[in-house]
Amino acid sequence: MSLPGTPTTSPTPMDEDTEQAVSVNTEPKRVKVYILENNEWKDTGTGFCIGEVDEGKFAYLVVSDEDSPTETLLKSKLEGNIEYQRQEETLIVWKDLGGKDIALSFEESMGCDTLCEFIVHVQRNIESNISLVTVKSSDNGLGSVHDIITGPVTLPSNDQQQNSQTLLEALKILNENTSFDFLKNETIEFILQSNYIDTLISHFHKAEEEKIPKDLFLLSNIIKTLILYNQRDILESMVEDDRIMGIVGILEYDTEYPTSKANHRKYLGSKGPNFKEVIPLENEDLKIIMKKCFRLQFLKDVVLVRFLDDHNFNLISEIVMDLETCIIDFLQVGTFLDRLIELYDTKTLPESSSEKEKFVQKRKDGIRLLQQCVQMSINLDAVDRSKFYKTLVRKGLFKVLDYAFHMETDSNVRILATDTIITIIEHDILLIHNVQNEDSFKRQHKSGPDDKSSHRKYPQDYSSSTDSKLLLILSTILLSDRSPGLREQVVQALNTLLHPEGCVGNGEGSYDLMGRSNYEAKKTSEDFPSFSYGLNSDSINLNNYHYSSDEMNNLEPESESEFQVMEYFANFYNKIAPILFGPLIKKDITTEMAEIDGQIEKVTKDDLLLIHLVKLVSFVCTEHDRVLSRRFILENGILDSVSKLIGGNHMMQLRLTAVRCIKNLMCLDDKYYHRYMISKNLYAPVFKLFQENIDKNNLANSCIQDFFRIIITECRAYQNDGHNRKEKTNGSYDGNGNDVKTNVNNNRTNFTILNKYLVQTYGDVLRKATDIPFIQDMLETGEENQPDHSSFENSIEGGNDISVNMSTDGFASNHLEDIDIKNVKRLHSEIEHFENDPHYSGDQLAFKKSVDQMNAST
Amino acid sequence: MMDLDKIIASLRDGKHIPEETVFRLCLNSQELLMNEGNVTQVDTPVTICGDIHGQLHDLLTLFEKSGGVEKTRYIFLGDFVDRGFYSLESFLLLLCYKLRYPDRITLIRGNHETRQITKVYGFYDEVVRKYGNSNVWRYCCEVFDYLSLGAIINNSIFCVHGGLSPDMTTVDEIRTIDRKQEVPHEGAMCDLLWSDPEDVDTWSLSPRGAGFLFGKREVDQFLEKNNVELIARAHQLVMEGYKEMFDGGLVTVWSAPNYCYRCGNVAAVLKIDDDLNREYTIFEAVQAQNEVGNAIIPTKKSQMDYFL
Repeated sequence: MSLPGTPTTSPTPMDEDTEQAVSVNTEPKRVKVYILENNEWKDTGTGFCIGEVDEGKFAYLVVSDEDSPTETLLKSKLEGNIEYQRQEETLIVWKDLGGKDIALSFEESMGCDTLCEFIVHVQRNIESNISLVTVKSSDNGLGSVHDIITGPVTLPSNDQQQNSQTLLEALKILNENTSFDFLKNETIEFILQSNYIDTLISHFHKAEEEKIPKDLFLLSNIIKTLILYNQRDILESMVEDDRIMGIVGILEYDTEYPTSKANHRKYLGSKGPNFKEVIPLENEDLKIIMKKCFRLQFLKDVVLVRFLDDHNFNLISEIVMDLETCIIDFLQVGTFLDRLIELYDTKTLPESSSEKEKFVQKRKDGIRLLQQCVQMSINLDAVDRSKFYKTLVRKGLFKVLDYAFHMETDSNVRILATDTIITIIEHDILLIHNVQNEDSFKRQHKSGPDDKSSHRKYPQDYSSSTDSKLLLILSTILLSDRSPGLREQVVQALNTLLHPEGCVGNGEGSYDLMGRSNYEAKKTSEDFPSFSYGLNSDSINLNNYHYSSDEMNNLEPESESEFQVMEYFANFYNKIAPILFGPLIKKDITTEMAEIDGQIEKVTKDDLLLIHLVKLVSFVCTEHDRVLSRRFILENGILDSVSKLIGGNHMMQLRLTAVRCIKNLMCLDDKYYHRYMISKNLYAPVFKLFQENIDKNNLANSCIQDFFRIIITECRAYQNDGHNRKEKTNGSYDGNGNDVKTNVNNNRTNFTILNKYLVQTYGDVLRKATDIPFIQDMLETGEENQPDHSSFENSIEGGNDISVNMSTDGFASNHLEDIDIKNVKRLHSEIEHFENDPHYSGDQLAFKKSVDQMNAST
Repeated sequence: MMDLDKIIASLRDGKHIPEETVFRLCLNSQELLMNEGNVTQVDTPVTICGDIHGQLHDLLTLFEKSGGVEKTRYIFLGDFVDRGFYSLESFLLLLCYKLRYPDRITLIRGNHETRQITKVYGFYDEVVRKYGNSNVWRYCCEVFDYLSLGAIINNSIFCVHGGLSPDMTTVDEIRTIDRKQEVPHEGAMCDLLWSDPEDVDTWSLSPRGAGFLFGKREVDQFLEKNNVELIARAHQLVMEGYKEMFDGGLVTVWSAPNYCYRCGNVAAVLKIDDDLNREYTIFEAVQAQNEVGNAIIPTKKSQMDYFL
């Protein structure tokens, strides 16, 4: 048994006081003494109670009369197996060995506390068989709650000689002792302070050798019960070097599978503790932590996977996380990372070919190691993660990635490198950039601390910056590497890097994209007429829409990070997008593809790339600043290419992805896109595809039905708005159960114009599908609007009253395919924002000119 | 072309399938699945199966007890992955059967066939353990997006993973969904995969945080409007394997015995014959054996190489 004063054993907080208080007697406390007689409590007087110890051997509770202190009202010995009950705050009740029921009612709960402390002390030091329990009425007022404060604890036998009997007994005791915290804590103390687990392990070896299945299963159940104690120190002690094999050995036996046995020891023996060391670790403590961490995970994920409940699972995960935090910390202090990254200095390549091969393998392993460390850091808290990633970047992570992307040819290794990057940028997009800036900032300050402009100038040089390099690397991989897994990962990385919301509010200072779009809308209106429309010329003059540094400085952005984000996206459209979207900029995809190679295989693979690119088009159009992205998309005829993909001889997955891209752009409710797509006849392939699938119950049919449904839903909403204006009624239903806001806004005309155009141009196709109710509606709506606008051309000419929904407030969705539905909803709720914005009139004019130009040139 | 029978044999033995093979399987499956409607037509006789949840060995028992895919037509109501330790093998086996016997097996999407859910409930983790990266998970998720949302047997029995949606109350309306997307957090597509039947008077909030609770009234309306006589769905653990509700207008079928290797429930499949008679087959979890007759204890694979 443990002694008072050892902090781990304190079920009550008063041990230190009792140590002194009880060496002498306790302070007198005022009480009433009651004795039970004939089932009634009889008041025997009021006095002062002390706890008294005679010669360190016998303990008493003594009450002396308050009126005549020499007279003793009560002297009761603490002995035998008396159970003292503390009821509520101020009452101690017990039955002495003579069978007399006694109750002390204290004036104050403090007084009761003092005497309870005394009882605890006596139990621990003199009369170990007495006990103190508390009884409180339960929260609902019915019944009562018992708890043990102190008392004798039955513990399993720790005799070296174990057998089925002792084990069965132990299992019973261990289970029973979980019922009260006190018993549980005492048991935990026993497990930790004794060598009980070792006793079990040594009996396990014996039982296994002598083939005593009963003992083996009992041992397994005992260890599982101990695990259910859910106590960190016990768990950690089980995975120590000299115990782990015994523990997993015992756990190989499972009563659920009585005829079989797992082989955890074999697995651990061959692999577990002998982990690979790419760079030898010097720190022994670190090695111990790593082993512990690995073994706990092994217990959690493999050995105990069917057994753990949520509490156990969470506790082990918590311990693992603590250990991981520790490991990550350790890695950053020594020279470990430096030595690791040194591997990728090209000059250190060995001479002999066998050495070289080994070295190349080592570099591969190094990338695996880094990925594993970064993977491990995912569960850490945000501050620790940032710190670790910054250290990695500072120490030269990019050297490693450069190697992976330029020298390494194994896709699997490249995938791990991309994964590393994704983890870091998904945590904080600006982290890499900021670390790089902080270097340049230091450099600049060294050279000329008074030159304020120097600090700003450096980050402007974006073309050589790390983010830019990263975008370029990723784009190149996407276009050149054929590993489908790597492509998917790269797309994920690009999505993260190009997500405007990831770039704002994450670093220092927040950045309001809406505010910026106003500025740029104005900017664009001035620039637009001077553009040479790039559709027919082979080379696109990037300088035309290049933001010069002077221009940027005039902007006076509110913060440095705001400025960075602007530069960042401008740079993307200047330098990266033309490369990334290259395959869609080329004029005729279908023929080019066919020319590459006659093989179907090749076409299929390129279709897979195009699927990614078309999704990226949807993404940038939806998420990025509208003016910036639209200019790029329209100038490069990207949508023309996308539309062609719908009709071309491509795999259906790509054709439908292209339909969805057109659909997403339509849902943006952007006048320019609407007119562009109408005037360039980009909807034609959609109808061709519809005709192909008109009688089929398949995905293509549903995809296009959805397309039509969006159009008619928007038209109806507009009609209802107009109708409601006349009728002065509120609220309407669009037939799909979606509540349509009764906003009155001309924005809807984008869709009514589109519907009319589609009905006029493709009415014959639509009329074949009138069994679909809303197609009938499309036809009716398209035809009934005739008197207002006699032709599509008219509607374009007369379109100056149409205001444009320029919302750049993109949806924070990582799933491109999600956008369809969400955007339709968005249209209902965000129509009024831009109604009175003065910037748009000029913008519209500019666009009209460019549309004219464009029409003239085609 | 791939040797499907060989892959099927490997999968049944729980053997590792190369990444490249998985990719091709997934791509070929997409082509097949996109030719099916959101609510795909199925003929009788057919056997309806509920949640599988990565319990490969129980899935094998299911085929064994119900005739096998060579002889019987099947509809699986989704939730092929997560929870159990063999999500990948279970899902790929079903895909292989689909490719091998296209008109003998129909796969419907469950609420676990999504990127978001599989990241949390085990499938993602399983793939990373088995392959060291998440590529195979990505390929499978892409296939999930192509899975049908429901099936209709002889124009008389509507099959779906979760239940009904207040937004779309006819099969024709469901056909207008462009299903190739991650399951949204709300709307008809979400509801079909998430809703539960319950003793409620009208559409009610679901404690799951997605989908709705619907009662007898909604079921009766749906049956009448669509001229069908039964809604067969899965999605909820039933200790007895199946449970009919609302005067037999709806049935829940559960096909993962001893769910999560600890629930102690039995599993069921529902056979519908040409006269639309219902016949339930109950089966229990049995201890799996490998090819040499040794018992297989279900467990996760430990992580791959451990560096540092």
